Amino acid sequence: MIRIFQYECKRLLWNKFFFGILLILLFYGWQVLNGVTILGVSHTAPFSPWSFGDYLSRMIPLLWIGALFFLTFFTSQKAQRVTILTNATPVPIKQYTFARCAAAFAGTGLLCLACLIEAAVFYGQYFGWYRWGQLLFPALITFIPPLIFALGSGWLLGKYKSWLIYLWMLIPFLCMTLPLPNAFGIWNGSFFKEYPLSIETMDPSFTLPITVIIVQCILVILGIVLLVLDPRFLKKMAVK
Amino acid sequence: MEINIRNVSMTYPNGKVALKNLKLNLKAPSLIGLLGPNGAGKSTLMKLLVAALMPTGGSVLVDGQPLAKTDRILKEKLGYLPQDFGLFDELTVSQFLDYMAALKGLRDPKAAIRKTIEEVNLEEKAKAKIRTLSGGQRQRVGIAQALLGNPSFLIFDEPTVGLDPEERIHFRNLFSRTAQDRMVLLSTHIIEDVQSVCDQIVVINHGKILFTGTPEQLIKSAVGHVGVFWEKDAFQEQGLHITARVNTSQGIRCRAVASKLPAYAKEEEPSLEDAYLYLISKEGA
Repeated sequence: MIRIFQYECKRLLWNKFFFGILLILLFYGWQVLNGVTILGVSHTAPFSPWSFGDYLSRMIPLLWIGALFFLTFFTSQKAQRVTILTNATPVPIKQYTFARCAAAFAGTGLLCLACLIEAAVFYGQYFGWYRWGQLLFPALITFIPPLIFALGSGWLLGKYKSWLIYLWMLIPFLCMTLPLPNAFGIWNGSFFKEYPLSIETMDPSFTLPITVIIVQCILVILGIVLLVLDPRFLKKMAVK
Repeated sequence: MEINIRNVSMTYPNGKVALKNLKLNLKAPSLIGLLGPNGAGKSTLMKLLVAALMPTGGSVLVDGQPLAKTDRILKEKLGYLPQDFGLFDELTVSQFLDYMAALKGLRDPKAAIRKTIEEVNLEEKAKAKIRTLSGGQRQRVGIAQALLGNPSFLIFDEPTVGLDPEERIHFRNLFSRTAQDRMVLLSTHIIEDVQSVCDQIVVINHGKILFTGTPEQLIKSAVGHVGVFWEKDAFQEQGLHITARVNTSQGIRCRAVASKLPAYAKEEEPSLEDAYLYLISKEGA
């Protein structure tokens, strides 16, 4: 399976799309860092976990699109025609799916890493601030749950109908326009702007309310469940 | 290896009946030609044999075991070339074959890939990206992935489509060599391919088997039903299925198959194509 993972990484990462989205991501990230983050969010320092989290949540829509685009390499009609050959091999489907999704996850991980490195460069260059370890937890809690959910839901939808994945790319933009409850605030960035103000102390340390933690955990679990769910199950449900 | 198809029926969810009560016994070593018009049920039968579909009735036994329970064991022995397939355009030919070798669980993929690339005459394109290949070369990559790892059961659905005559002959010989110790099922519209290499023929139409036997037996069944005549002499063509019409200086010379040849037709030795067309036309009548 390592060979399959390597080949899938090569297919996903050594192409125009990956470099294109990487450039857009870096360009947009730099605009956010220089236009919003530099001022600090909710009266906190620009390098506080809150300002950093706000930057990350603004990057989620592009990362979401990136993750789903990686999946189109497996779910497009062109890719489905190769499935006729791969399905005739003795490889266990679950293992094969895992190797492919791991490649998509690695690709998404690289895009996330690019966002983090860009922020690190920004903080170092403008503020001489290098204590990146403090930002690890906000980065993990902001990026990992929605991106696992993106991969799980996108995989299932793409297997069901390949065009649904393109529609699914619009979800984060929809979330940005909706008045989501606080528990979902990481999705549209409202959490990082509003929650520190509600704590009523100057420059509060980074904490998460239990509802936010639960929502993020649900997203991870749901993402994994959707990933292992058989798309035939969804078809059967649709028929019923 | 033995495959036993027992009263297999297949009806698609849209209600289309593709196979009706099919009974067939296939034994290795043999090269079996599967013939039939478009929509006869050939591809459905092949999909059932690779466990890509499950029959709605009956069962398929592989070495006495039901395929539904042992599909992974069958797939370890299987090489499959479907009629319509895709390849990863971003990979080179050898990378794609290495990918397929990984899925097939081959222990020494490098040697197997080298051998297969030689067999399909793609040495010069081994390092070329698949997107740069012509239609015929892509078809050869498809054949290569099926041959990879010396599977004991090979299924080729229209393997020579898109190949030039020289390549077709090359692959016919390759299939024939391959079938010396294995079972090869070859579905094609090109009767010449079947006549040159197959030791058994299965003719299928409207989801039913019309004939199983050797090419000689099929030809024999059409003796007395193939004739030639001048078009100007033919006063009625009812019941005749004209298989060839050649313009000559003396007029148009026709070749036809019929249950009962008209008096103006001169009987001819049937070819395999005549015999096949006679069988299909008889069923249609």
